Amino acid sequence: MSAGEVSVMHARPDLRWPVAAVLLAAVGSAPLFLGNYALHSIIVALIFLLPAQGLNLLVGYTGLLSLAQAAFFGIGAYASALMAVHFGAPFYVDFVVAGAVAGAIALPLGVPALRLRATSFVMCTLGFVVIGQTVAKNWVSVTRGDMGLSSIPRPVFDFGILSFKVATVTQFYYLALAIAGLATLAVFLIVRSPAGRNMVAIRENETLADSVGIPTWTYKLVVFVISAVFAGLGGSVYAHYLTVVSPTSFEIYYTITTLVIVLGGGAGTISGVVFGSFLFVGLSEALRITPELRMTVFGLCLIGLAFWFPKGFAPLITRAWSYLEGRPSKGAT
Amino acid sequence: MFDLFAEQLINGIVTGSVYAIVAVGMTMIFGVLRAINFAHGEYYMVGAFGAWVPIFYLHLPFPIALIIGVFTTAMIAALIGKLVMSRLVTATAEASVVATLGVSLVLQNVVILIFGGGYKVFRGGYIQPVSLFGFTLSEQRLLILVVCLLVFAGLELMVLYTRVGKAMRAVSQNVEACRIVGVDVQQVVVWTFVLGAALAALAGVLTAPVNVSVYGGMGGLITFKTLPIIVMGGLGNVRGTLVAAMLLGIAESLIGGYVGLQFRDAVGFATLILMLMWRPHGLFSTQARF
Repeated sequence: MSAGEVSVMHARPDLRWPVAAVLLAAVGSAPLFLGNYALHSIIVALIFLLPAQGLNLLVGYTGLLSLAQAAFFGIGAYASALMAVHFGAPFYVDFVVAGAVAGAIALPLGVPALRLRATSFVMCTLGFVVIGQTVAKNWVSVTRGDMGLSSIPRPVFDFGILSFKVATVTQFYYLALAIAGLATLAVFLIVRSPAGRNMVAIRENETLADSVGIPTWTYKLVVFVISAVFAGLGGSVYAHYLTVVSPTSFEIYYTITTLVIVLGGGAGTISGVVFGSFLFVGLSEALRITPELRMTVFGLCLIGLAFWFPKGFAPLITRAWSYLEGRPSKGAT
Repeated sequence: MFDLFAEQLINGIVTGSVYAIVAVGMTMIFGVLRAINFAHGEYYMVGAFGAWVPIFYLHLPFPIALIIGVFTTAMIAALIGKLVMSRLVTATAEASVVATLGVSLVLQNVVILIFGGGYKVFRGGYIQPVSLFGFTLSEQRLLILVVCLLVFAGLELMVLYTRVGKAMRAVSQNVEACRIVGVDVQQVVVWTFVLGAALAALAGVLTAPVNVSVYGGMGGLITFKTLPIIVMGGLGNVRGTLVAAMLLGIAESLIGGYVGLQFRDAVGFATLILMLMWRPHGLFSTQARF
């Protein structure tokens, strides 16, 4: 084309709001057309979104690879279960306590751990998971060892005039949706704040961040603790959903899954991680029928992910979203 | 009293020998790739299965089964090395973690799909007890000890005197410089990887008669135990790994015997965490590179 011509391109409407509305409507009305099994898969995906977003803050935004999510997930699960079983505390108390305990334990662990270099730090965090599981198995007086704690009550919200029990899968779906939604909102706010920008600065070039006056050590520690809190909250919801906790709450599987969600969905993006959770956990739960085949496919996906989607699915999502934005009807490019 | 202690000690040294053979492979792979091979334990498992099959189906003698087991694993490792590991030279740390975890899942579950998830009984090996300085231990355990010493002596010679060994050292020091002087980095990486996996398989076959049961998931625990060892020994440090492995084997044995068996598996990571707090660069590294 020569310089004087105006390119004529067909207009495309901005479809983002309609698509978003449809998605929201689908999510909101899912129980109407999905069976209990599918809903269960989605609930687990929503629960996993909590430790995943926590890990996202750590890996994606601050650049710290940690494998400790399972440790704090397990700690949150047990804390919540103990509160419910021994003190009869209602769900929202257990929930908050779980997060607080996980965060409180993360603090003294993080202080020495964060002094380590990258590879040693990864090992150390893995160690936390192993230690956590060993404690859960052996502190029998508190955790009942391998038998675990059972009969954890389903959440009950009792505020005088307004009280309801979350017992059915459908009700739990909405509870999980609400909690996951709030968690994602919290992460969104953190990331958009000046603190979030500082975190990215640390990820990109820690020395440079230090030199412009960002307290990198404090940031890393705080993000480590926040990440643990998210994992603990997720553990709490999981405990009340399954109504049992056992040392398997510390299984390395939880760490691997949250890592896959974050790296596969897109570290450093919020929508990517949300998508990742639904994709990997939802699919994984839905394919429970043939566990070995499922895990083999999962494994192959991981390998493919590492090489062909190093940034996860996030770039694809961003491209799809901007495609939906459409094009205005006039004007040169 | 002393008898019990000595027995635990000897058991610990034997366990340490197994860990050492597995760990040295992982540390060498780290040395050239700067990547933790989270699938390393799976090669131990594949080796054991590779030897179990000829014994179970063809009633072949143990030495032949051992060769078959190690060889099969080496072939599989060569394939994985070419397809997956060689690409990790230029990948990020997270990509390596994800990729090797993926390989681990695939290996474990394919084995379970083929052979079923149950425990297989490994019949074979030299389990006749032998008397040594007044202590009895099975011939197999003695064999493990001897093989461990031979392996490390062999590695020492290889790394110091052969071209391949020198190439491995070069790649572990500076990949860019290697490319400049014409060392084929991809080939060295794959070769080191195959060697490491074969060693893990060797350990798996040698230990199978002692463990008796062989199952698809047994690699996971091995990977777990090996990770603290290579960090404590110093990532990429062959001699340090031997010492760390022995220490862990003995510590596990003593704690398992005197404190309680349920704590055995946590000893590795507990020791690692303590050591990282006190000496972050490993017991033997001269520089804090990792």
